[in-house]
Amino acid sequence: MKHWLPVLVAVTAIALAGCEAKSGSDSGAAPAPSTEPIVVGSTLSLSGAFAATGAIHKIVGEQFVDRLNAKGGLLGRQVKWIVRDDESDQAKVSTLYEQLISQDKVDLIIGPYATPNILSAMAVAQRHGFTLPQHTSVLAPLMKYECQFPGWSIGPEPNKFVPNQLFDAVASLPAPPAKVAIVTNQNGSTDFVSYGSEPDKTGAVSIAKQRGLTVVAEIRYPPTTTDWAPIATQIRDAKPDLVVNNGLGVDPVNLLQAMAQLGYKPPLMFSLFPAPGPPLGLGAASDGMLSVTIFEPNKSTLDKLGGDASDVVTEFKTRAGNAKLPYTVFETQAAASWTAWEILAAAVKGSNGLDQKGLCDQLHKSGADTTFNGHLTFDPKVNNFWPPTQAIKQIQNKDWVTVWPSDRAAAQLKRPAA
Amino acid sequence: MGKQRDVHATGAKAGKRGHVASLPIARGLIGIVLATGALSALSLYRETLGFPIAYLALLTTMLFWVTQATSWNVLSGYSGYFSFGQAAYVGVGAYTTAVLFGRHHVNFYATALIAAGLCAVLALGMGMLAFRLRSLRGEIFALLTLAVPFILAALARINGAIDGGQGIIVPLPPFPPALGRFQDFLYLINLVVAGLAVAVAFLMAHTRSGWALASIRDAEDVAEALGVATFRHKLLALVVSAVIGGVGGSIFALQIGFVTVDSVFTLTVPLFVIVMSVLGGRTHWFGPVIGAVLVVLLQDRLTALDLTGWQLVVLGAVLILMVLIAPEGIYVRVRALFPRRRGKATEAVGPDIPESTVDSDAALVECDGLTRHFGGVHAVQNLTLWIRQGELVGLVGPNGSGKTTLVSMLAGSLRPTRGSIRIAGRDTTGLPPHRIAHAGVARTYQIPRPFASMTVRDNVAMAVMFGREPRSLGAARRIAERHLVMVGLAHLAGAYPSALNLHQRQLLEIARALATAPQLLLLDEALAGLNPAEIDNAVEVIRRVHASGITIVIVEHLLRVVKALATRVIVLDRGTCLADGDPGTVLSDPAVVQAYLGKRAHA
Amino acid sequence: MSTLQAALAGVLLGGLYALMAAGVSVTWGVLRIINLAHFGLILVSAYLTFQLASSWGWDPILTLVITVPAMFVLGGVLQWGYDRVGISELNSLLASFGLLIMCVQLVSNVWSADFRRMSAAVNPYATASVPLGRLIFPVTTLLASGIAVVLIAGAQFALRRTFTGRALRAFAEDRTIASAFGIDHRRLGVLLGALSGATAAVSGMLFALANALTPATAFEWFGTVFAVVILGGVGHLTGTLAAGLLVGVLSGVVSVLLSPAAAPFVLFSAIVLALLLRPQGLFARRAVR
Repeated sequence: MKHWLPVLVAVTAIALAGCEAKSGSDSGAAPAPSTEPIVVGSTLSLSGAFAATGAIHKIVGEQFVDRLNAKGGLLGRQVKWIVRDDESDQAKVSTLYEQLISQDKVDLIIGPYATPNILSAMAVAQRHGFTLPQHTSVLAPLMKYECQFPGWSIGPEPNKFVPNQLFDAVASLPAPPAKVAIVTNQNGSTDFVSYGSEPDKTGAVSIAKQRGLTVVAEIRYPPTTTDWAPIATQIRDAKPDLVVNNGLGVDPVNLLQAMAQLGYKPPLMFSLFPAPGPPLGLGAASDGMLSVTIFEPNKSTLDKLGGDASDVVTEFKTRAGNAKLPYTVFETQAAASWTAWEILAAAVKGSNGLDQKGLCDQLHKSGADTTFNGHLTFDPKVNNFWPPTQAIKQIQNKDWVTVWPSDRAAAQLKRPAA
Repeated sequence: MGKQRDVHATGAKAGKRGHVASLPIARGLIGIVLATGALSALSLYRETLGFPIAYLALLTTMLFWVTQATSWNVLSGYSGYFSFGQAAYVGVGAYTTAVLFGRHHVNFYATALIAAGLCAVLALGMGMLAFRLRSLRGEIFALLTLAVPFILAALARINGAIDGGQGIIVPLPPFPPALGRFQDFLYLINLVVAGLAVAVAFLMAHTRSGWALASIRDAEDVAEALGVATFRHKLLALVVSAVIGGVGGSIFALQIGFVTVDSVFTLTVPLFVIVMSVLGGRTHWFGPVIGAVLVVLLQDRLTALDLTGWQLVVLGAVLILMVLIAPEGIYVRVRALFPRRRGKATEAVGPDIPESTVDSDAALVECDGLTRHFGGVHAVQNLTLWIRQGELVGLVGPNGSGKTTLVSMLAGSLRPTRGSIRIAGRDTTGLPPHRIAHAGVARTYQIPRPFASMTVRDNVAMAVMFGREPRSLGAARRIAERHLVMVGLAHLAGAYPSALNLHQRQLLEIARALATAPQLLLLDEALAGLNPAEIDNAVEVIRRVHASGITIVIVEHLLRVVKALATRVIVLDRGTCLADGDPGTVLSDPAVVQAYLGKRAHA
Repeated sequence: MSTLQAALAGVLLGGLYALMAAGVSVTWGVLRIINLAHFGLILVSAYLTFQLASSWGWDPILTLVITVPAMFVLGGVLQWGYDRVGISELNSLLASFGLLIMCVQLVSNVWSADFRRMSAAVNPYATASVPLGRLIFPVTTLLASGIAVVLIAGAQFALRRTFTGRALRAFAEDRTIASAFGIDHRRLGVLLGALSGATAAVSGMLFALANALTPATAFEWFGTVFAVVILGGVGHLTGTLAAGLLVGVLSGVVSVLLSPAAAPFVLFSAIVLALLLRPQGLFARRAVR
């Protein structure tokens, strides 16, 4: 054995040294004949922790592709979407995108759901030089790949935009809040909005103080929190005028419920990225809750946007109902997804081809027209995050309505009944 | 002693010394290197071979799990201590790289080494705490390891210098452009790590370490009493496991590109490594490899088939099916399909009874003021006695008189509350059992406890290997044959203990004790439950052993046996010495008859 | 005041942990089956409660009429199956993990992966509470801890006083001897499996009362529940209850005094410490096993 091992190591070393020279780029994917469908590949979290929202994106994607094909597809070819389940697992996202690009040889890709997954997919896209429209990552400072295009934008600095917009909105109330409690989920995007990120540590907390508000409670909780009573008691005892919950999913529902069990309801409650359906089921406890939106299918908004938007919203309702989703309203998540698909389609139409570099350049040059966000322009200097169209929505009469800014509001921002 | 311990600790070195054992090791290692080399060609000559790069991505995932499952198996599969803490290593590894390389631009390879170091320190800490517990049970170890990732995850969340909640981007490290794409690099580096992990697991399985861990899995305190330094072997396995897991975690950070608490400290990791290892076969080094490849492949195929809504149902069903078809793991099942040619039978060796060189005046055992309390119960009370070399002492007394407690203290598995024990002039009070075994004390158990996973021959060979003078497996097996002849079990050398009857198991206990080359042999009711013919045979064996010059203490209820065998009888009653002398005198002493026989008669 | 209230809420929530853990603990301790499928049964029960309450307008607590018998049967069938194939402790972990992921997928197929939650209209308990002086007892967790105490005390009583109970304990001590005395371990095992299935139904209902459901929830219970099982002593029911309450209080108090993020840190560090000091399980004088 003493003699064998070094020999083997040497052989291996020689093999390593003598390995073939490889070309750096993809070995030429021959352009498919034009009768074949154009294939779009992506993953979505159809099971696991992110599946609740992943389901919405799947329906939107199918709906978009069907509508597109009904209108003749892209470049005169039909479009086919391959969507794989990444099981909410980042490692799977990388592997699956790698497979979609190199094995399935898809023509186009679109992003997965949830920020960590999108970042993993972006790394693969960047390595292959693919253009990646993505639905929902708003962590602008991290999305550094120049051919990444967001379908939801809170601008290049969400950590400043969101708090300022919220504080502007509530300042318009007759008796504006003076004391705030800031309750943050320690998850990438929500923590970022509360505390910023190196090197710019501006966020909801510092902005509140800067605007002369008193921060009476500052609580950070892990995404795995199951026991909400301690947080609720702390908030109750701090007596805030406004609770800013930079949270996700059902966080605000759990919080409001725990507070209601204590016989307490905060005068005003804001939550950043809640699942839209569950708060509506909470009854009086959630009345008047605030959140952010890029789109709500309120009648006045739909009237403004015209027929196509209404059709999309109606069709989504049917499809979501068939898929047994409990909340079938086409709102922010769905609108972000729709926008990402429109960006992809606009790039193909505009560049009149499937060359990835061409798609990317086309979007930088001419932007994209979208149903729900109008014309978008992309500036690589701010990681393609377009000027925010985000608004504030509120639960009024058991439904979400846009209430701020006033030029886009479908109803007046109100202080909920105590 | 110090020198012996060194040899003992470096198991690999000792294993190589025996030529018989090292040949398969060399072959195996060469096999692993060749397999790694062949697999590396898939990337190095990818374009020539026309191997699609997407498969490399799949293989990379497989290799990650091979590394992690192997890491888990080295401790948990081999030793039976189930860990639910695999995510701790993945997390520490990934965060070391993410923080140092991703944030502070330290060289990537250096961060992988630092990750290994941190994991080793973590494992040392865990092991020092957990394995010191005398009554550590499997569940407790499982929970301790389950708790660690939760603690570390919370630490990463609280501490902004580690994470603080937002996650860390990990950029691409510099790598030789000749390797091709980043995917090639990722594959190759995973391959190297997995190859090393498997090689280490293979080495451990085929050297003293593996035997020690297997004996720990089968019957830990027996192993310790036979001279296996169980603490050290468990600690070593834990550290090796942690280092492998940590390095794997470090390169996992590159693979996901963005490290968050939830993506690395997840319960999926321990669940998957357990599923893979147990499915593949956890007692074997190759089991986790089979399990990992199978599970990843299955998942990939299911994803690709696009069984919307049925993927996990099929995966779950396959898992259950596998458990039913191959409950011992796929490796064992497949192995059974291809019966291995039997190794040539070891040539029979006649009983080689050493000349009795007994210096009958020297004291072999000296107990002074020996006391042991259990709560308020005084099992042994201020006992002072000494036993000369060459004696065959019968230890009798009613139930609860302290016989077994005394035996356990002599063998070191119980510590005395007070008092001291000297064996052959050395103070052994409070030494761990394996050190006492090396000092020349061996014991058998009332209920025989063989190592179920080893043949009768290897049961005995174990004791030889880990005896005072460490031997290689080959040498130990030859010596074992001799001890089996001594007790009359040579014809069953190749059988497994489950095939033995009670009498044969008790003989095996004796043979195994003899294999430690003891000066003092403690037989704790070695004849319990035997029929008269078997008892006669056992008495004959004990005589033979005694004649070879070994001092014996026998605990026995059957007075006819004691009378027939003992050169001296000690009667214990309520933890104190009631009578001590030659059998004829003692057993007719009225006080003894009153205390012992009287009680028994009325019991 | 915050601390006291949080401690109280923790005790009450601890009852739910204990109830979830009791089924796992007993089958593990007595039958040597590490039954991860128990989490699957809890999940399915929670969804059934949601469905029956939402579509038929049943009072959520009344749904137990359906879920308890259903899970009783399922739990029994599961145990019968484990016994039938003579599964080992380890393999039970694997097989039941297989069953669990099947449950998760089936739930996801039937109810979608999106959040499901009983609306305030059908679930008056979610936000209700009972004030007592300055302390407030939320109804959902008050129910959970009350039921946990009653069920566990009842089970403990049955174990000590009934023939079946004594037979079970004998069986846990030594299978061979118990069988020699004519104890039919199969029937006992199936009964025990069925009973722990019934507790799964109750746990599921209680969980659905206070929480939004997603299929992935099943995996979130692992850490805490296993901590409670082992901390209480495997197979030791009153220990399980005590451990559940302790875990609840500790996490509540730390969340208030330090931060919610520190809760798992303190909780699991305390568990490690406790185990190092009392390795036989914190509350087990002598576990059934």
